[in-house]
Amino acid sequence: MDSDIILVIVVATALAFDFTNGFHDTANAIATSVSTRAMSPRFAVALASVLNFVGAFLSLAVAATVAQGIVESDAVTTTVVFAGLIGAIAWNLATWYFGLPSSSSHALIGGVVGAAFAASGPDAVIGSGLVEKVLVPGLLAPVLAFVVAGIAIVIAYRIVGRLRPGPVNRGYRLGQLATGSMFSLAHGTNDAQKTMGIITLALIAHGDIPANDFEVPTWVVVSSATAIALGTYSGGWRIIRTMGSRIIKMDPAQGFSAQGAGAAVVLTASHLGYPLSTTHVISGSVMGAGAAKRLSAVRWGLAGNIVVAWILTLPSSAVIGASVYGISSVFGSGALGPIVVSVCVLMLMASIFGRRVSRGPAITAEA
Amino acid sequence: MLAAVDAGQLAELVWVALLAGVATSVLFATLVVGATRATDLRREGRHAAATMAMAVSAVAALACLAGMAFGIAVILSK
Repeated sequence: MDSDIILVIVVATALAFDFTNGFHDTANAIATSVSTRAMSPRFAVALASVLNFVGAFLSLAVAATVAQGIVESDAVTTTVVFAGLIGAIAWNLATWYFGLPSSSSHALIGGVVGAAFAASGPDAVIGSGLVEKVLVPGLLAPVLAFVVAGIAIVIAYRIVGRLRPGPVNRGYRLGQLATGSMFSLAHGTNDAQKTMGIITLALIAHGDIPANDFEVPTWVVVSSATAIALGTYSGGWRIIRTMGSRIIKMDPAQGFSAQGAGAAVVLTASHLGYPLSTTHVISGSVMGAGAAKRLSAVRWGLAGNIVVAWILTLPSSAVIGASVYGISSVFGSGALGPIVVSVCVLMLMASIFGRRVSRGPAITAEA
Repeated sequence: MLAAVDAGQLAELVWVALLAGVATSVLFATLVVGATRATDLRREGRHAAATMAMAVSAVAALACLAGMAFGIAVILSK
């Protein structure tokens, strides 16, 4: 009975994480399209939502690779997964509150690492896996995207520089439809699968599906796709505003170069089996497209805050994950701990969102 | 720990991503230039030159579409 309740809580928490993932990362795909007026905010969010939903169905090959090679598999229990998810959700909401783009994947990995560390000690964490899958990509992605987008916009200005701006801007706005769609599709296939993987792991741990030769159940695919699409449709306007206009004020050519270079980097990395964070890539490419035009065009203070948020993502979500595991353990190994933590988290979220609703929408698409 | 990092794969990622990003930029800029020039030339009554500019634009558009198709194939093959 206890394990059934924990399973239900883990599934619900995983879907809540999926919702915050869509909500938080909508900005990656559409922010530049909105700020250059390539798409209206409503259309951009709806398009990203549909493509995230479709993307979740496109590939199911590796739905259970979250934290694989980073945490020893025998250290992963349903309570560890639950604590890791809470760590990731808490960090996603905190960075959303401050309007800072950060990697949901790194938050999830950090949460699970922290919870596994609290559950089984330092031996549960595979250091080389952390370096290979989190630290190196975390350093490489923004720098590479910065350089590629910078070179791309310099070349673009050289080629189209002498033409009338009207048709050029119209052309680049049309191009942003394609690059924004590619980003949304890639995001849907990448990130919805993480939730599918988490739920599938919980079902395996619960004994509902065999550990060897399993298939992701259809209800898991549909519910994960729906959660990420709904989260995307809800749209995190705070981060959209940061990505779209607060780092740099961009023209359509810069928007296209940032998205096009970002998509090229993400898809090349995927093709070579080196998945990079879409958040890190698009943030780096937005800064690169701005800096190549004029270094002072980039608000470096804000860029610094974003980098600090990236650095803090793993340790912060790990500390929250470890704390949640510790609090759950105080109530024993049954379902009481996760129930108490879930109720506390829901009350905290209701309080934060209630205060925000009572103050009215702080930031709108037009802001 | 650093032994876990495959330097060869990283180098490949860097140059392929650079090439893909620059190619995307060049192709799309060529598409925009071709289409804009074609409109201007047609307005000036230079129909042969306009057709040439449109042909260049169409080739660039096809290359961009091929790039997108490759991107979707990469997403599907994961």
